[in-house]
This record gives sequence, C-alpha cells and structure tokens, in this order.
Amino acid sequence: MILLQLGVDGLLLGAVYALFSSGLTLIWGMMNVVNFAHGDFVMVAMYVAFFAFTLLGVGPIVFVPLAAITLFGLGVLVYVALVRHVMRGPMLAQIISTFGLALFLRYAALWLFSANFVSLPDTLVGGVYDLGGLRLSASHLLAGATALVLTLGMHLLLTRTDLGSRMLAVSEDRTAAALVGIRPDPMQALAWGIGAASTGVAGALIALFFYVSPEVGNSFTLLAFVTVCLGGFGSVPGALLAGLAIGVIQSISAYFLGPATKDVAVYALFVLLLWVRPQGLLGRA
Amino acid sequence: MLLEAKGIIKTFGSFRAVDEADLTLQEHELIGLIGPNGAGKSTFFNCLAGDALPDGGSIRFRDREITRMAPHDRARLGLARTFQVPIVFDGMTVRENVMVGAFLRRPHRHAAAAKADEVLAFTGLAEQADQPVTTLGTPGRKRLEIARALASEPTVLLLDEALAGLTSAEVETAIALVRRIHESGITLIVVEHIMEVIHRLTQRVIVFQQGRVLAEGSPADVTADPRVIEAYLGRRAGRHRP
Amino acid sequence: MKNFPRVLLIAAAAALVAAPFLTGNPFYQRIAALTALAAISASAWNLIGGYGGQVSFGHSVYFGIGAYASLLAYTKLGVPPIAGAPLGVLASFALSVIVGLPSFRLRGHYFSMATIAIAALAEVLVTNWGFAGGAIGLMGPASPRSLADLLFRSALPYYALFVAVLASLLGFTYLMQRGRMGFYLRALGSGERAAESLGVPIRRYKLYALLVSGAFTSLAGSLYAVMVGFIDPGSGFGILVSVNMVVMSALGGAGTLFGPLVGAIILVPLEETTNALLGGGSSGAAYVVYGAIIMLIARFSPGGLAQWWPLLSGKGRRGAA
Repeated sequence: MILLQLGVDGLLLGAVYALFSSGLTLIWGMMNVVNFAHGDFVMVAMYVAFFAFTLLGVGPIVFVPLAAITLFGLGVLVYVALVRHVMRGPMLAQIISTFGLALFLRYAALWLFSANFVSLPDTLVGGVYDLGGLRLSASHLLAGATALVLTLGMHLLLTRTDLGSRMLAVSEDRTAAALVGIRPDPMQALAWGIGAASTGVAGALIALFFYVSPEVGNSFTLLAFVTVCLGGFGSVPGALLAGLAIGVIQSISAYFLGPATKDVAVYALFVLLLWVRPQGLLGRA
Repeated sequence: MLLEAKGIIKTFGSFRAVDEADLTLQEHELIGLIGPNGAGKSTFFNCLAGDALPDGGSIRFRDREITRMAPHDRARLGLARTFQVPIVFDGMTVRENVMVGAFLRRPHRHAAAAKADEVLAFTGLAEQADQPVTTLGTPGRKRLEIARALASEPTVLLLDEALAGLTSAEVETAIALVRRIHESGITLIVVEHIMEVIHRLTQRVIVFQQGRVLAEGSPADVTADPRVIEAYLGRRAGRHRP
Repeated sequence: MKNFPRVLLIAAAAALVAAPFLTGNPFYQRIAALTALAAISASAWNLIGGYGGQVSFGHSVYFGIGAYASLLAYTKLGVPPIAGAPLGVLASFALSVIVGLPSFRLRGHYFSMATIAIAALAEVLVTNWGFAGGAIGLMGPASPRSLADLLFRSALPYYALFVAVLASLLGFTYLMQRGRMGFYLRALGSGERAAESLGVPIRRYKLYALLVSGAFTSLAGSLYAVMVGFIDPGSGFGILVSVNMVVMSALGGAGTLFGPLVGAIILVPLEETTNALLGGGSSGAAYVVYGAIIMLIARFSPGGLAQWWPLLSGKGRRGAA
C-alpha cells in the first residue's frame, strides 16, 4: 500500500517535472542550446503565483495563466536579447550566457525578496481525497493532472499542427527551412516563448504545494537536465516518461533513505547516464 | 601495400551506408574516390580516417591493423586528412593553426614554427601567416587544412572534397597544389564531385554507388563504363565541363 | 622603442604587486590578499576552461577538497592546516582521474551540465558527512600554536604567500601557452575532430590540463581555509565558488595568460564595495552584477577584455614567432 501511495505521489510530482522539462527539451531539440537558467524560470513563475495571490488575492485560475504569460514574455525577451546573438558564437559564450542569466535572476530575487522561504496557504487548493486508503491531496492532483494535459498538448502542438511542423522544420535544418519560406528567427523566438510559458505553468502549479525561495531554481535546473537526458534530448514524450519516472524515484528514495538523499539519487543517476549514454536513454544514437 | 581496406561495412540503424567496400593503395599513388551524393564515399572515407568505426571489415595501414584505432593514433602513423567543411582553430593565427599539425613530429616550439613556415610557403599561405585564421575565406580555409595536415608530415593524405565550392581559377591553383604534394612523395586519396578534376589529377578511380564499389580503374576506363555513366555521369553530364 | 610599453607595463605590475606593502590600511591589504587568492583559482580554472574550452561549473569541488583537507588535517590529526594542502592535491588528482576522465567523453554543453551535477552532488554529500562537520563545517586553530599554523593578524603575509603561488601558476601557464600543450589545448577547445585528426590525443591532454587545474584550485582552497580558518559546505563546495572562477576568467579573457588575474583585480574589490554599499554579503547584490557581467561578456565580447587589449594575452605584439 505504501508503495502504491509513494508511486502515485511520485507520478503527480513527476507530471509537473515533465511539464517544465518539456519546455527545456523543446528549446534544446530545436536549436541545440541549453538553458542553464531553466530552473530559475520556474522560480520566477513561483514568485508570480505567490505575489499574484498575496497582492491581488487571485487564485490559481488567474495566476497560472498569468505565470504562463509572464514567462512567455521572459522567454521571448531572453531569446531576442541574448540567445539569438550567442548561439552561433564560441561555445564559451553559449554556455555562460544562460548561466549568467541564472545568476542574475536568482540573486535579483534574493536581493528583492530576501532569502526567506515563503509559501501559498495550504488551504488555497485544500482537501485530501481518500480512495480506499490511498490519500491524494487536491493540490497535487490539480498540479499533476494539469501538467499531464499540457505536456500532451505540447506534444500534439508539435506533431499535429502546422505551427508545430514549421518549428520542427527549423530544428531539422535551418537553412532548408529558410529556403521553403519559414523564417527561423520568429520560430525560435516562439519556441523560447512556449518553452518558458510551459515552465511558467509548471512553476505556478508547484507553488501550490512547494515553498518558494530564490535558490529553489538550482535543483529544478538539475531536475530538468536529468529528465531531458533520461528522456532523450529534444523529445517531449521522452520528457514525459522520464519526468514521471524521476518523480517516482524521488518519492521512493526520500521515503526509504531520507529526504536528504532524494537529490543525491537523482544527481547521481544523471551523472551516470551522461557517462554511459551521452545521447540520452531514449534518444537517437 | 600501403593502405588496404577489406569488406568495410558501416550501418546507421537499418541503413547500410557502406556495404562491403574494398580499397587498396600503393605507395606514391594518387587515387580518386567518386560517386553521387549519398553513395557512401564520405562514410567510407571517415572509416579510413578513424572518424567512424566500421561495423565490419578490416583496415591495414603500413602492415598494421588500424580498423578500430583512434584518429590521433592514425595521424601518428602517418595518415592525415582534411574535412569537407573546414574546421579551423578560431582564436589562433594561420601559422599557429599549422603549428598544431607540426607539433606532432616536432615537440619543440621553434622546430614546429619552422616546419609551419615551410608548409605555409609550400601552400602559398605565407603572406597570411600572422593573420587571425578567421580572416580567411573558404578557399583559404581549405588550403589551410591541407597545410595543417602536411605539417604533420603524413605518408598518406586523405582529401575530402578539397576543391568543392571553389571558382574555376581557384580550382586550378588547388589542382596545382595537389600535384606538388604528390610530387613531394606523399600518397593521396582524393574524394571529389567534379569529374574533370578526377580526370586530370588521378591515376586510378574508385566509383561508389549505394555503399558499394561500382567500378575501379583508370579515369578513362571508368568514365567509359556504361554502369558508371548511368549511375553517375548520367546525372552529372550537364556539369561536365569540356 | 618597441619595448617601451612592455617596460612600462612591467613597472606598473611591480608597483601593483608592491602597493599593499606600502599602504598601511588593513582593509586594502585584506582585499589585495583576497584578490590574489581569487586570481589563483580563476587562473587554475582557465587552464581547462579557458585554454581547453571545457567549461567547468564544478571546480568548487576541487576548492572544497583543498579547504576541507586543510581543516580536517588540523581537526583530526592536530597538524597545522597547511599540512593538509598536499593531501588535498593528492585527492584532487584522484578526482580528476576518477570523475574528470569519464566526463571528457562529453562535449560542450553536456560537459558543463555534468560538472554542475557533480558539484551539487558533492555539496549534498559533504553536508551530510558528519565526520567533516556536516552542515556546520570545520574551524581552524583559534590562536597560533606555532608559526606553521600560518595565523597572522595582518593580511600581508597571506598576500605574499598567495602572490608567490600565483606567480608560479602564471609561470607554468606562460610556458604551457608557448609550447605544445598550449597549442593542443587551444586546438581541441575550438575543434576536437580537427585536433584529433592532427594527432592530438584529446582525452590525455584534457586530463593533463585538469590535473594541473584541479591541483592549483585545491591549493587555493587550502590557502583560503588557512587564512579564513573556517569552512562549510557552501563556502567550500557551493556553486558560487565556481561562479567566481568562471566570471573572472570570462571578464578578463578566458584562455589568456593574464585574463583571470585582471578579472580578479576588477571583481574582488567591486564585490567588496557593492556588498558594503548595498548591504551585507548575503544580499546577493554582487552576484546580480556578476550575472549581468557574464551575459554582457557573452553577448558583446566573448573574448573578454583581452579582446580589446592583446597585451593581456601575454603575447604582446604579434611579431616574429
């Protein structure tokens, strides 16, 4: 029973990981750029949710879309002002650019909001459902279900729509896409916007049950890396499966080995994965 | 026998890019490797250079088994290559780029610099020696790649489309350079698209199609072969300059 | 006449090195010592991250190993902290071989991601390692038992020590840069396939660079612990320790001889002043500035300041080689 409980908890958490990781994998797959500030995007979204509630008094129906819109803007801005200029430059510039962004966001938040942990009230999405001994908290359920739907939605957007096929065309071959009249730049800006917006939704959902602090992003960045690496670089379905798996691993290892080890297990898994299969577990060879 | 490849197989997923291809190379030869796009000649070339590991077959070089040997060890044995799309070392001058090659056999800075200057003069890049490498255009970069490889003092030089994308005047210069390299005693394999170049330059040609060796022989014989005409020249006839 | 700027530069450098001895202000002396220390680890990072182009965000692990080696040697064996430095260097060698070598299969972003994860892993492990003080960390000697404890009231002896270590590191870097190893590192940093095709044994040269880089970073950690007399998981293994090395190298010019030193000379005093002006060291204001600097460098001048001033590269004017 406890395993089932841990499994379900892990899956619900994992669905949220899947959502913000699919934002990372989208950008990565499309332009081979790694966003080292990805977890800090999650952090920004969490603060958007927190301040929307405390200052405007609005609930998740409003602050989740608000976080999505804010992060969409942030994503496009980062692409236009920074990434676009460095992505074909020296490797050092590519790598440190978003790393600098991560520092900037993290410590700007620390400076503005202080290092204190804050959180939304438990009662915002309260209640616990009891299904024959299996306890499901409403906030986790809401977050997990929304994330699952949106991750699948992102997959459908990429595979079933005209916009999606244009974006994929750019990711396959920029030059060829340009030749058939698809301008790569707006497509890539859009990818950054969509990737960041999905991260925004995920961040706002996580804020329902997780504390908010400026430094929370660091572990989310690493979680997203592990998820993307496990799921195959650039694959949304891969990120979904991997996110769910990592949620379960975390939840089980935290229960049996103590909370301190839940990150150890995931980071160690990541390093081993990179060493053994640099192209990702489900990725193309 | 200087270089010998037997039954080379290279697959990508279920696709056999190279399907039991053979090649032999005698000392002081200059041979050509041609074939339509996707014929597997580049993959085969990469197997020879060590950038791709074959899934079957064996390669011997100077009586040593090198099938799975790393590229840098092949370079040490005397097998050098250039790339289809030149890879230059940004942030270095032209001379410094060439010195990287020269250091292979001359560990001391001054000896390496002297070798680099010698090669730069030989390849006609002496005037650009002190420029940042990023100032070179495509023809210059292609020549620099050749210079860098020569500085490593190879026995065999593999040229991957060293003449592609050049204007006809530049092609003439490049052909002259390849001839001088050959005359200096280096054995060459030249992968090319342009039939005319192969015709003028090489003594022996190997034609690739669908991962296999379709024909082999003197340029004149090969271009007279009806299978080759169909597979290759038929499609390229329009580009064949008189 | 051609040598005139070089003579001037040497004179200016000598004046700069001597300046802390001339000022009587302990605040400036302390900043000078911290600058020299930061320059050691940044210059050490520069060997693999700048010349070799392998952007490590995990060098904090080496720094932490050195720092902990010193204070573990003191707390567990009772020897002067500096005696732990050689142990730290040995541990750094082991780390380079066991963890660094397999990571070198990864290129570009992938390598950097692995280093972040390794550093995060190390920080969590040390925080949960009771023997090494856990989350609280370790203290050095409270008062000097002998001269070997290297416990001084003034920052000047530390400054002299750090400058000596820095000078030997820069001396090594200068010789390396001129010789085969420097060429090979720069080549593999900008084009691995091409370098390999020219006979450069990629992994071996990366390992050479990492061994030296890790050893000096570990030494910097030991020196830090000796001077400050305290270490905890954050100040030893935290990501910000790596950030300092990266930002200083990138600002001054990664892959240049004096770039990291120039970066340190600009940033350490800047950090002290911003923290003094905008609130204590924990406010993070300095790192907002660092983040902005990193983005601006990446966006506008990937070669750092050295892009504008070739003398920084340690080559002076390009002439006959």
